[in-house]
Amino acid sequence: MMNFLEIKNINKSFKNKKVLKDITLTVKKGEISSIFGYSGEGKSTLLSIICGLIKQDSGDIILKGNNINKMEPYERSISLVMDEPLLFPNMNIMKNIAFGLKLHKNIAKLSSVEYSKRPIKKTVLDIMDILGISGLEKRYPDEISMGQSQRISLARAIVTNPQIILMDEPFSNLDIISKTKVRSLIKNIQKELKITMLLVTHDIEDVMNLSDTMFILNNGVIQDSGNPKDILKKPSTMDTAYLLGTENIFEGKIASIDKVNNNIIIYFKNNSLNNEYYIESYYQQGFEENEYIYFVIRPEDIIILREDRTPSKAVKENHFRGKITSAVFTSRMMELLIDTSENKPQNIQFKVLLPFHAFEIMNLSVGKSVSISLKKSAIHIIKKKHIRI
Amino acid sequence: MPNFYKIFIRNNKTFDIIVFFIGFAFFISLSLLLAGIFFQTSLKLFLSEILDIHLWNAIFLSFKISSIVVLINLIIGIPLSYILSFKKNKISFLLDLISTLPLTTSPLVIGFAVLITMGPLNPIGKFFISHGIKFVFTPQGIILVQLIISFPFFVNILKESFDSINRKMINLSKTLGASSFEILYKIILPLSLNGLLAGMAMSWSRSMGEYAATQMISGVIPNLTETAPIEVFVKTSYGNYPAAIAISAVLMIISFISLGIFKFFYYKTKKSK
Repeated sequence: MMNFLEIKNINKSFKNKKVLKDITLTVKKGEISSIFGYSGEGKSTLLSIICGLIKQDSGDIILKGNNINKMEPYERSISLVMDEPLLFPNMNIMKNIAFGLKLHKNIAKLSSVEYSKRPIKKTVLDIMDILGISGLEKRYPDEISMGQSQRISLARAIVTNPQIILMDEPFSNLDIISKTKVRSLIKNIQKELKITMLLVTHDIEDVMNLSDTMFILNNGVIQDSGNPKDILKKPSTMDTAYLLGTENIFEGKIASIDKVNNNIIIYFKNNSLNNEYYIESYYQQGFEENEYIYFVIRPEDIIILREDRTPSKAVKENHFRGKITSAVFTSRMMELLIDTSENKPQNIQFKVLLPFHAFEIMNLSVGKSVSISLKKSAIHIIKKKHIRI
Repeated sequence: MPNFYKIFIRNNKTFDIIVFFIGFAFFISLSLLLAGIFFQTSLKLFLSEILDIHLWNAIFLSFKISSIVVLINLIIGIPLSYILSFKKNKISFLLDLISTLPLTTSPLVIGFAVLITMGPLNPIGKFFISHGIKFVFTPQGIILVQLIISFPFFVNILKESFDSINRKMINLSKTLGASSFEILYKIILPLSLNGLLAGMAMSWSRSMGEYAATQMISGVIPNLTETAPIEVFVKTSYGNYPAAIAISAVLMIISFISLGIFKFFYYKTKKSK
């Protein structure tokens, strides 16, 4: 069964504001899918609709081929993990995790599944072991850390064996260390137990780390969907590129298209004047000569050439010469700005990311002139918006 | 003028002294006022009155009626608080209004209304009387009026306790498979246990001390409908002050204890948040 959960044409308005417009998406069994979007874009509303806490204005939710529109939340077998752990303060951790197992509905459901004929206590201890929270059984929610609480919250959802687990920004309240830890735990446990998950997040890192499929929710519509890596490298529209924080977006005009030799030549066009600079890219479908377009290149795909070595064949493409105008050490990489012709209208500014050791070895510093190469394969052309013939 | 600011507005110590002085002055005068009745009689008279069986009959009756009232409060108060707190809509606003009304209406009016409605001339009263249930001049009548008077206290305290429960947590438990009933008895009630006990203590004390409405419906029949507060009034009107003082003393001690219980649980509710 490929389409496990289908969401069809969901619409939802609050007062006069349309939050979700014709949302259609499908989640595949055993995968982590994620919905990416900024805060206030209706991501949480969509999750609430899927698990039945909010009623949609129109549209259908189909789980394993059955329409579950009319079901109460507790009948749906769709568990929710939220940004807060929301543990029950009146129960210890053991009872918190076992909560779902003792509910009437789950007793009936689980008694038919072979693995759940074990006693409740063993099931709980096993899941606690997998999630690395053993030894906390007797503690109470106010005595443990946020990272642990969030893992307990996850255990509580997994243990009831739901069809799908929905996660609403599960990492947003965690510090960076717990975040990484919980993220890799989720990845491992998902692989092991083959749980279907739908994750909602505003952090692209979560999407890249966890998900097999991503949906971009913007202004209440699904704007883009597919493999996260493809979307990040090759966004199909400018809106998507902006949402994903794409850097090095340039305006250009296609000078020539050569399908046979797999080549497109694009002139830079900035400050509305035609530039003498041009780049070459591989052939991409759907563009015409003299068309105005945008093109992007990811900062990590720009190579700074070492002066002491002759460049290898791969980096012979698209050479530019420029001056380093800024060098900032971010948490992981050096972030450089390179200007081709400083303070002149035809200036082009490239953002380049490179590891700190490379920055040191090459003896780079602000003010130094360098040669850079833009890999031909890394250049991605995007259509200009709103231009229809 | 600058000195005034310096001493009264910008000085925390002066502020504290003034606040505490006013607070304690009020506390001491209130205590003296209430304790005053104990100095009106001789110890011998007081003791002989307090050992009177008639007095304890009245107190025991009040005790019994209040306890039954609290039990009924529990049965109707939990569903009502649940609706008021978790199912907010236009009807629940109306329900809130009607159920809080007895707090602001004169108890005398409530007693009078029940007396008229349950009387033999009213169709409702006629219906009950024809089925052998009499509310006028009977203990059940007292239970009815005390229920009307005391349940707003119970419902308000319990509703406040329900309101403080995290709604996201309730929603999350639904997705784990919990039905409304399971949520009520596994999460909501255990979490509002302190509020529940505080509400019970409060409604019990209110019912214990209720006089005006009770007097309207009771008919003041000795040993049958003569509750402790009524007994105080009856004894005073006969001029038997030592007896009235004895009952008052017992009533005051009882409400002191039950109020203490209420405050204990109420502060516990506040603290656990």
